[in-house]
Amino acid sequence: MSLVIESKKLKRTGYLAAFLAGGFLAAAFPVVYMMVKADEVTMLSGNPIDILMSANWQIMAMLNILVSICGACMMYYAEYADNGIQKMSVLPIRQGNMFLGKFTIAALVLSAMVVIETAVLVGCGEYWFSNYRFDLAEVLKIAGFQIFVTLPTVMLMLVIASACRNMWVSLGIGVILVFTLSILPQDNAVLSLFPFASPYQMLPAAIESGRTVLFLVVCGIETALFGVAEVIYLKVQRCFE
Amino acid sequence: MSYLSLVWVELKKTRHSKIFLILLIPVIMMWVPSIINADMNFDLRGIPITPEKNFFIQGFMGMVWFMIPASLVICTVLLNQTERSNKGILKMLSLPINTAKLCLAKFTVLLVLTAAQMIMSIVAYYVCAALVTHTQNYFFILEPLYVCKNVCSIYASAIPMAAVYWMISILIQSPIFSVGIGLASIVPSVLMINTKIWFAYPMSYPFYLLMVAYGRAAEGVYETQIVWLPWLPVAIGITILALAVSCIRYGASERR
Repeated sequence: MSLVIESKKLKRTGYLAAFLAGGFLAAAFPVVYMMVKADEVTMLSGNPIDILMSANWQIMAMLNILVSICGACMMYYAEYADNGIQKMSVLPIRQGNMFLGKFTIAALVLSAMVVIETAVLVGCGEYWFSNYRFDLAEVLKIAGFQIFVTLPTVMLMLVIASACRNMWVSLGIGVILVFTLSILPQDNAVLSLFPFASPYQMLPAAIESGRTVLFLVVCGIETALFGVAEVIYLKVQRCFE
Repeated sequence: MSYLSLVWVELKKTRHSKIFLILLIPVIMMWVPSIINADMNFDLRGIPITPEKNFFIQGFMGMVWFMIPASLVICTVLLNQTERSNKGILKMLSLPINTAKLCLAKFTVLLVLTAAQMIMSIVAYYVCAALVTHTQNYFFILEPLYVCKNVCSIYASAIPMAAVYWMISILIQSPIFSVGIGLASIVPSVLMINTKIWFAYPMSYPFYLLMVAYGRAAEGVYETQIVWLPWLPVAIGITILALAVSCIRYGASERR
């Protein structure tokens, strides 16, 4: 129910188009990279997908985060622009459900974006690497892992956007978080578990260091925690309005 | 209404927007890793650079690459959205003021906000350099002329980028696209700077200047001379074109 309402609200904002465009833009990076450096890269030994991801995923993940930030800001901008959120709050609808609907949509479009990106990575592997063998299970695992480690960021960004009436404040906080966590040392195990830092983690590297389960568990807990925090925030906010 | 008083009115509108806080936090954050890892400045990995210059350039790297463009995008959102909420822009457009003048006044505010961020970053640099000098027992403070010259040139090179972002935010009404294009355009600037056509990409100008400063401080890292041609004419052309388009199109969707 709330999912249908939320998706209707976004219909004319260009929300889906922005995510698809972001996905294709991010997917262009490995293609351009291979066009420029095909000779050097195909000489390397190892799994083609691993090579492509280690060369391009940092930039692609950053684009995923930035588009997610824009999306979260847009979702709540549409609510706050003409005091729509006040009208929503007098309806017999739970505000928490509304938030969950928004999160579900954000997670789904993010998944679409990551699926586009992984599909293009596979395409690059097929086209340029002669030793590449397509393995659906492996590709799905990579896409699933990359989506899952990005979820805390999406959730936290929605919480921030829901708390700020003005779009530039939520956008500013989001951008500052991206900036801060990108200049902090990336190899630190604790810092890499934070939202806004975890999306840069890659499944091949995580398997190598044996941290896959750790990442999945921590990111799951973070996502749930931010969701609970939002529900509590909504309750508290209602008392003070 | 004179141009200066228009700028003053626009500046007043940003008063309760908390924008200075948003501009200040990244300026402080960018020095935190530098302070924590201050001893890394002595580990130069064979690059012939003095620790104090390494500290300055490494600290500004993230700022120049990511935070200046991102701050500009945030400020364009601020300038466009403050008046959307209660249709203030309609009232402004109904006044007997030239819309092009109004548009340029808002752009001036954008430049003023960026200048404020630059000044804050210089102050933050000196505070942090003094702090690190104290903790590391090594003199990290560079002479003000060098610091100000570099920061001012970075600021000047950010003006074409500001004009382009301003044009995008006016041409594209849907905030998700104007912000999305702005933020997404930051990402490739690292790659663009290594291509031959970097001068056609305004988002990479500040990064280019810092890299030249890096090249001058450390032999062989990057070019030591700024390639003025064809950069300067292209940059001026882009700025004028972007400003002209934004002045013509300003308020077009409201006037329909």
